[in-house]
Amino acid sequence: MRTPERPFLVAAIVLGVLAGPSAGPAGAGDDLEYGVKAVYLVRFAAFVEWPAAARRGADAPVGLCVIGQDPFGPRLDAAARGQRAHGRPLVVRRLAGPAPLDACDIVYVGRGAEPMLREAGDPSGRLIVTDAAASSRRGMIHFVVAEGRVRFHIDLRAASGAGLTISSRLLNLALSVQRR
Amino acid sequence: MTWLEQLRNSRFPILAISVLLVLLVAGLLISVASERAIREQMAREAGAQADLLASAVSGALAFGDRAAAQDYVDAVQVNPNVLAAAVYDERNRLVASFARPGQDIPAVARPRDHATTLFRDGRLIVVRPVEQGGQRLGTARLRLMDDPPMQRFMRYASLILVLALGALAVGILAVAQTALMRANRELADQAQALRDQIRDREKAEEALRQSQKMEAIGRLTGGIAHDFNNLLMVASSGIELLERTTDPERRRKLSEGVRQAVARGAALTSQLLAFSRQAPMKSAVLDLRGQIEGLRFMLERSLREDIALVIDIPGDLWPVEADAGELELALLNLAINARDAMPEGGTFTLSARNLAGSAETPDAVRLEITDTGVGIPEATLSRVFEPFFTTKEVGRGTGLGLSQVYGFARSSGGSVEVRSQPGAGTTFAITLPRTRKAPPPAPAPSAGASDRESGGAAVRRVLLVEDDDGVADSVGQMLERLGLDHVRAETAPAALALFEADPAFDLVVSDMVMPGGMDGLTLARTLHDRAPTLPILLTTGYSAAAAAAGSEFPLLLKPYRLEDLDQALRTVAAGRGA
Ligand SMILES: Nc1ncnc2c1ncn2[C@@H]1O[C@H](COP(=O)(O)OP(=O)(O)OP(=O)(O)O)[C@@H](O)[C@H]1O
Ligand SMILES: [Mg+2]
Repeated sequence: MRTPERPFLVAAIVLGVLAGPSAGPAGAGDDLEYGVKAVYLVRFAAFVEWPAAARRGADAPVGLCVIGQDPFGPRLDAAARGQRAHGRPLVVRRLAGPAPLDACDIVYVGRGAEPMLREAGDPSGRLIVTDAAASSRRGMIHFVVAEGRVRFHIDLRAASGAGLTISSRLLNLALSVQRR
Repeated sequence: MTWLEQLRNSRFPILAISVLLVLLVAGLLISVASERAIREQMAREAGAQADLLASAVSGALAFGDRAAAQDYVDAVQVNPNVLAAAVYDERNRLVASFARPGQDIPAVARPRDHATTLFRDGRLIVVRPVEQGGQRLGTARLRLMDDPPMQRFMRYASLILVLALGALAVGILAVAQTALMRANRELADQAQALRDQIRDREKAEEALRQSQKMEAIGRLTGGIAHDFNNLLMVASSGIELLERTTDPERRRKLSEGVRQAVARGAALTSQLLAFSRQAPMKSAVLDLRGQIEGLRFMLERSLREDIALVIDIPGDLWPVEADAGELELALLNLAINARDAMPEGGTFTLSARNLAGSAETPDAVRLEITDTGVGIPEATLSRVFEPFFTTKEVGRGTGLGLSQVYGFARSSGGSVEVRSQPGAGTTFAITLPRTRKAPPPAPAPSAGASDRESGGAAVRRVLLVEDDDGVADSVGQMLERLGLDHVRAETAPAALALFEADPAFDLVVSDMVMPGGMDGLTLARTLHDRAPTLPILLTTGYSAAAAAAGSEFPLLLKPYRLEDLDQALRTVAAGRGA
């Protein structure tokens, strides 16, 4: 029921709506792209379910961590502001140096963060989001820009291995889904 | 009048109307309930559809996939009732929509935070928030066609039709019932009118019959006068001759002739009375055997010496109910007819037997009167019972004899037939129904003054009340012959005065119609009040007076013979104190 082609224009309009004005250092193209990615990161929290064991408490916020270089700037904070997922508030954390990922539920892997991720070891209970613009390595969700539009691949096997459940509605929107 | 009758009589059948009302109210309630149920159902279905759209579109909305959102929205078109569908984002901006012609979709929707279902302007509007994992992503909105009035009307058309039919049926029933009631009333009125007419006609016919009879009697007055003149002639000449002769044998024959003439006169008047039906019928339970035996003497006198009288009546004959006087007269008439039919002599037979009845015919007694006379020719056989039919010369017959026989038989609940062959005699058969009533005790037999005591206390002194000197004389002599003393009073008041002064009377014989301001009946009542056990015998020659007396007091019709008086006195004396 879907076609892979998505006009960038549409995404741009939606982005304009959702992300609001941007104050980031990047150019107009980057600005749009990372605005969309920021919103997507927030949305992922709603379409992914974590295992009960991964919970750090009933009210513990959903930790949205950016490791490595942060391409979003305030756009991510704006997208996450006031948002909740599964009844929990969203908290954006930026981990510049090597640090434990204990309070992270969603980990965006920025440029130069691969060693950090490797050090963190077991990814169990964490959604690892990678970006083609930052590295070639693929996490459970991997951002790409296809035909001028922000899209993503999903590695369902890795996600399941980490104990995560990804909504079929999200799977439907992925460019590709890696199943077991 | 009960409520039910009131209801039945009211022109407007309340019951029908209330049934109709109940039907209407029930129909209305059913409609309202079903309308509500249908709307609820509609809202539920629309809500479910909107929910479906909201959940399906969440991904597309979350990640800005407008085409996917449009696909989901278009899928809703399948439902023809959906007028418009739209998906709005978190900020109520339109993302995808479809609209049927004539429907507009606002680019920015009115914010709605909660699921909303509302009917407005004949439209059903359903709004469902699109949420995923607790994140508000936007809204899915559907606009559906609420049932147009026509469709709704169609839905209830059948109900309305049934109701209308019911109303029609009730109406028709009501009208029919009213019409039926009116028709019934009219019918009843007509029946009443018919009954009235019949009664009037019966009265008129009765009056006509009576007047015809009277007219006929009037026409025959001449003949009767002739008869009477003859009788008077015989009587007066007989008396004259009696005064001139001393020969006992001759005197006996003369007095016999006079007596016969008087008897014929009496029979004639009785017949006329019976025919004009003015004589009171006094039916009583009769033992025919005893009754006829009692008549033997009189019958022998009516026949001639050359005619033998045979009476053949079994002892176990059932009793019948009839007027004894009428029976006597009928037998007398038949005897006289037989005598006339046997100029050469012959036999006159009176026989009787029981006729056992069946399921249809009740028990009866058959009385046959046979002569060996000339018989009746076939041509006249059917006419002999007609009044005034006679083959006898003027002065010899009036044609009333068999008419009386016929009247007697019919008024006694029986019938009479005639069988005859010219030259071979005639048989009259009178059939009278058997009565279950007990016959009266047998009258005391034999005659003689001394026997009078058998009925109770002895009768010795009679108070005779009679205005006519002649009658008083002759009755007085009769009383003397019966061995009784009497005191005569000329009027009722005089009689009362006499009784007051000296109440030592054993019996009172009083005429009914008298001058002096008080008639015999009133006198009898007054005397009866003073002395309830005093026997009173009333006598009269007037049938009207006889009818007035009824059965209150014993009655003796004038003219009467010594035997009649004797018999009547016995009966009255025997009934005393009873
Ligand atoms: N026993 C009989 N034998 C032959 N004819 C009879 C006999 N009885 C009656 N009739 C005929 O029937 C007629 C009618 O009889 P009914 O007794 O009615 O009248 P009536 O004898 O002529 O007159 P009334 O009896 O009045 O003196 C008679 O005139 C006679 O012709
Ligand atoms: Mg006769």
